[in-house]
Amino acid sequence: MREVAVIGIGMHKWGKFPENTFLDLAAYAAREALKDAGVGWMDVEMVSSGIYKHGGDAGLLSGNMLMSRLGEIGVPVVNIWGACATATSVVRTAHQSVASGECDLVMAVAGDMSPLGMLPTISKDPMDPIFMRFQMIGLSNPAYWAMECRQRMEKYGTTELHLAKAKTVCSKYGALNPNARYRKEFTIEEVLNSTMVVDPLRLFEICATSDGAAAVVMCSMDKARKYTTKPLTIAGVGLGSRQYGDPTDSPGMVALPPTATDVPLLSESYNAARNAYRYAGIGPEDIDFLELPDNSSWHYLQYPETLGFWGPGESEHMLDEGETMKGGKLPICPSGGFAAFGEATAAQALAQLCEVVWQLRGDSGERQVEGAKVGMAQSYGLFGSSGSIVVKK
Amino acid sequence: MVKQIPITEGLFTWPSEKPQLIGGTCKTCGSYYFPKRSIVHKPGCLNEDVEEVLFSREGKLISYTWQYYQPPPPFKSSEPFVPFGLGLVELAEGVRVNGIMTDCKLEDLKMNMDVQLVARKLYDDEQGNEYMTWMFRPI
Repeated sequence: MREVAVIGIGMHKWGKFPENTFLDLAAYAAREALKDAGVGWMDVEMVSSGIYKHGGDAGLLSGNMLMSRLGEIGVPVVNIWGACATATSVVRTAHQSVASGECDLVMAVAGDMSPLGMLPTISKDPMDPIFMRFQMIGLSNPAYWAMECRQRMEKYGTTELHLAKAKTVCSKYGALNPNARYRKEFTIEEVLNSTMVVDPLRLFEICATSDGAAAVVMCSMDKARKYTTKPLTIAGVGLGSRQYGDPTDSPGMVALPPTATDVPLLSESYNAARNAYRYAGIGPEDIDFLELPDNSSWHYLQYPETLGFWGPGESEHMLDEGETMKGGKLPICPSGGFAAFGEATAAQALAQLCEVVWQLRGDSGERQVEGAKVGMAQSYGLFGSSGSIVVKK
Repeated sequence: MVKQIPITEGLFTWPSEKPQLIGGTCKTCGSYYFPKRSIVHKPGCLNEDVEEVLFSREGKLISYTWQYYQPPPPFKSSEPFVPFGLGLVELAEGVRVNGIMTDCKLEDLKMNMDVQLVARKLYDDEQGNEYMTWMFRPI
């Protein structure tokens, strides 16, 4: 397999843009990524594009629609859906295309515009579990996270202060990020005073749903030196799926098999990370900062443990000691995370990847993690979908 | 005459004073799953020799929450919306099932408490017909 470089990134800022279409946002991000890479659209040999689930047939063919917008050049287009982990699969497909030698220069891109409120289903089949869990149980995604959070509180003594603090530390960085939707530093009191949504999780401890788009240009490392003197390497991309007996009540599920004691929580994310580590030939001890999927404060606490950065039940202590901040053992979400961005489903993992690249280039301004050489972006989605990307200098 | 109608047929025995969830089991690997259309096998089993199972009504509450916001469609409830409990319950067969918690307040719920399956109204129509789903109640 060839070494793959990321030479260009582009992002449309996160927010709510009712005047735009998802293609407006995706085309903007694509143009920015081309500009950043110093290449033209005509140089792109393959496009890997995230499906926009709420966009009808145009959303299902997002890459082809983007091709019309930017110029029909006849190259392969792949449209991919993997729930909230969509963009990791998008990146993987682009990465594999270059690594295998199929193409030299490719684009991974996704844009998404969330419907208002809690994310709904597009299914109409009453026997589809993702329809059934709404129709028969009224079980929203945050309710699954609340039930996991309660188990963590019971097991490790997590307090409501920890849950609030996870939001406040992310918001410190979000306030400094021009691409974030919420550029505000929250106080513990503000978070604790926010409405209870799904006990024990409050409004400001659950990510919003947003609109946004991001794109990345990748090419083979030998070609990368034509465009930049400091190319970054995509060291590893790993995907994972859920294992039988996973204790986690994953969003989308009505019922689960019996718990197996030898299967970890969030097994899909555990597996994705191990696949990325194996590809990269490195482990969590080599990684300097982490963009994790902080869909809720529970995720903020659980993910470093799932990914092997420290042991089970240690995150609360790490948070209390400032170890998840810049200058700590593992800075988490220097972008501000989902807490500051809100989630634009199909595009989210590409936004994480953009932040990892900005950090490794030293272009993150006041958010900069000093001396960062290796960064990781971790995604998490419905029904046990997940992926991990490791990038190094 | 008011009718009590399951929102979706075939998920629990009805009408019944002691409703049970209708799931399935694989005769080869012994997996249990719910509903019976959502077949699940243990890894390594490719057989499809499955049969219907009526699950135990009793189980343990693994975790729970209280949902204060109305979930998106296709969820429907009586107006105005009233916040409600949700739980993950491990039935005697080991299979875990999500459901609405009924006959309780948040303060009544405890981890690992015994609960029982019931069928209750989620909403009704203009004729007064009641649309039913499965729920769990503390014992």
